[in-house]
Amino acid sequence: MTLLGERRIGRVKLSQLQAFLGLIVVFILACVFSPVRRGELIFLDPGNLTDILRQVSEKGIIAVGMTFVILAGGIDLSVGSVLAFAASLSAVMLMRGGYGTPETLLAVLAAGLLIGAVNALVITKGRIQSFIVTLAMMSGARGLARLVSGGSGVEIGYGAGGAPQSFSVLGGKLGQFVPVPALIFLATVAIAWVGLNKTRFGRYVHAVGSNETASRLSGVGVDWVKFGVFSICSLLAALAGIIHCAQLEQGNPNDGVTYELDAIAAVVIGGTSLSGGTGTVVGTLVGTLIIGIINNILGLNNVDANVQLLLKGIIIVGAVLLQRRG
Amino acid sequence: MKANLTTKDRQARQNSRRAFLGSLSLALPASLLLTSACNRGGGQGDKFVIGFSQANKAEPWRTWMDDTLMKEAGKQPQIEIAYADAQQDNSKQVADVENFLRQRVDLLIISPNEAKPLTGIVKRVYESGIPVIILDRSIEGDSYTTFIGANNREIGKAAGEYAAQLLGGKGSVVEIKGLPGSTPAIDRSAGFREAVAAHSGIKIVADPVADWLRDKGREQAEAALRANEKIDLVYGHNDPMAMGAYLAATAMNRAEGLKIIGIDGLPGTEGGAKAVLDGKLDATFLYPNCGKEAIETAVKILNKERASKTITPPTARITKENAAQFINE
Repeated sequence: MTLLGERRIGRVKLSQLQAFLGLIVVFILACVFSPVRRGELIFLDPGNLTDILRQVSEKGIIAVGMTFVILAGGIDLSVGSVLAFAASLSAVMLMRGGYGTPETLLAVLAAGLLIGAVNALVITKGRIQSFIVTLAMMSGARGLARLVSGGSGVEIGYGAGGAPQSFSVLGGKLGQFVPVPALIFLATVAIAWVGLNKTRFGRYVHAVGSNETASRLSGVGVDWVKFGVFSICSLLAALAGIIHCAQLEQGNPNDGVTYELDAIAAVVIGGTSLSGGTGTVVGTLVGTLIIGIINNILGLNNVDANVQLLLKGIIIVGAVLLQRRG
Repeated sequence: MKANLTTKDRQARQNSRRAFLGSLSLALPASLLLTSACNRGGGQGDKFVIGFSQANKAEPWRTWMDDTLMKEAGKQPQIEIAYADAQQDNSKQVADVENFLRQRVDLLIISPNEAKPLTGIVKRVYESGIPVIILDRSIEGDSYTTFIGANNREIGKAAGEYAAQLLGGKGSVVEIKGLPGSTPAIDRSAGFREAVAAHSGIKIVADPVADWLRDKGREQAEAALRANEKIDLVYGHNDPMAMGAYLAATAMNRAEGLKIIGIDGLPGTEGGAKAVLDGKLDATFLYPNCGKEAIETAVKILNKERASKTITPPTARITKENAAQFINE
C-alpha cells in the first residue's frame, strides 16, 4: 500500500515536470517566432502577455473545475452550455430584471451549483456514467439558456435603465495592464490547489479517481465526493459565464460551444490522467497557458484559423504521449 | 526486493525516453507549423499592413467578400493584408483584433460577428490612432473612420417594386423570411412591404420563416403552396430560400407562371446569379460585398485623403439579360 502510494506521488511529480517542460518549449518557440517591432519581440510585450492571460481566463476557470471532475474519474461535457446559460441569465437579470450586481452574481452562481448538483444526483443515484448524464445536461442547459434569453443575445448597456456599472469591473482591467478575469482565474487556481492538496476532500477526490471500490470499502463517502466535484465544476462554469457576459457585454445563449473540449484539452495537456486519480491543478494552469500561447503566437503571425485548430489537435496527442506509461 | 528495484529502474528509463519522445512530438509539429507561419507572416518594410478581421468564412457571401477584397488589395503593391477568421466566435474576434493592435497594423478592416461584443476593442484600436473601416455590420457609437454597408431596406424596396412590375400590380405573394430578429430579415421585409403597399391588388398571403436556409425554404414554400391554391410570386429574403421555393414548386408542378425572386446575387455556379441565368429564379437583387469599396477607402485613408463616414454600395437587379456578367464577378 505504501509502495503504491509512493509511486503515485512520483508519477504526479513526473507528469507535472513534463507539463512544465512543454510550457517552456512552447514559450521559447513563441519567442523565436515572435514578430519583431522596433527591435522588440511583440510576444514579450507586457500588454501581449496580459492579453494572453485575459484570453485564456474563461476557459481556464472551466478547466480548473474540470480538473476536479477528471481527477475523481469523471467527465463533464455540460460546461460550455452552463457558461452560455450563466451568461444569458446574468444579462437577463441585469437588463430585464433590474437586479443589482450582487444579487445577479449570487443567483447565477447558485444556478450553476444547482446544475452541478443535478448532474451529481443522476450520476450517483441513477448509476449512469457521467459522460452520458453531462451529455444530456449539455443539451438541457443549452435549452435553458435559449429559454431565459429568448433565443438570441441579450446585450448589456450601462447607465440609466441598464446594468449597474459595478458589473463591468468583472470584465475590465485594474490599472493599465491587469485584466480582472485573469486575476479571478489565478485566484481560482490557488483556491483549487489548497482544496486538492490541503484538505481531506482533496485526498478523497484523488482516492475516488484512483480506485472507487477501494475508496468505498475504506469508508470514503464516494457519492458525496462526486457531488462535490460536479458542483464545483458547474459552479466554476457559471463563474466563467458571468465573466464572459461582462467581457463581451452580452449574454448569448449560443456561445460556449466546444468549450468543454478546450477545457478537457487543457487538463490533459497539464498532465492529468483521463482515467482519474493523478494530476494537478497547477498542471491545468500550465496546460491552459500552453494553449493560450500557441493561439497567440499563431495569431500574431496571422496563421489561418483552421491551422490553429489542427495544431491544437496535434499538441493534445503529443501531451498524452508524454504521459503514457510502459 | 531486488527484482522489484530493477523493474522500477527499467520503468524510470522507459519513462524518460517516453518523455523525450513526447516533447519531440510536441515541439516538432509546432516548429514546423510556425516556420510555415512566418513565411506567410505579417508585413515588413515600407508596405502598409492592413489587418482584416472577418467574422467567419462559413457563409458563401463572406468568402466572396474575402475574394473581392484580396483581389483588389493585390492591385495595390504598397499594401499587404494580414487576415484573421473569427469562425463566428465573438471572443476569438476580440483576440484577433487584440493581435492586430499588438502588431500595430496601419489600418484595421473588420466585419464584426456582432455589434456589441466588438464595440469595446474596436474603440480601443480607433482611439490608439489606427484608422478603422467597418464592413456590413456596424458597432455601437461612432469610434470608426468609415462604415461600408449595403442598405437592406432599399434592397427590399427594389425587390418589392420589381415584384409589382412582374405582377402588373395584382396577385398573391408569399414572403419567405430570414432568421427572426436579424437586422437584414427585418429590413428586407420592411422595404418590400413598403413598396408593394402602393399596389392594393397585391396581397401577401403567407410570410413563413425559413432562417435563411434552403431546406427550410423548401418546406415552408411547400406548405404555403398547399395552403393557397393560387400563388403568383414568391419573394425569398435570400437566394437559397428562393431556390427552396423553386424546388418545392417544381416538385408540386406549380412552377408554371410562378415568379420567384431572391436577394444576394452571389457569383459562381452555386450562386443566385447562375440560378437566374438558368431560369430557376426570375430575378435576384445584388447584396454588394463591400470588398472593393473597402480597399478603395483604405488606400484613401493611408494616403491621408478624407474618407466619408458612411458608404452605401448600391444594389443591382439581376435578371436573365444581365445575369452572365454577375456570375464571373
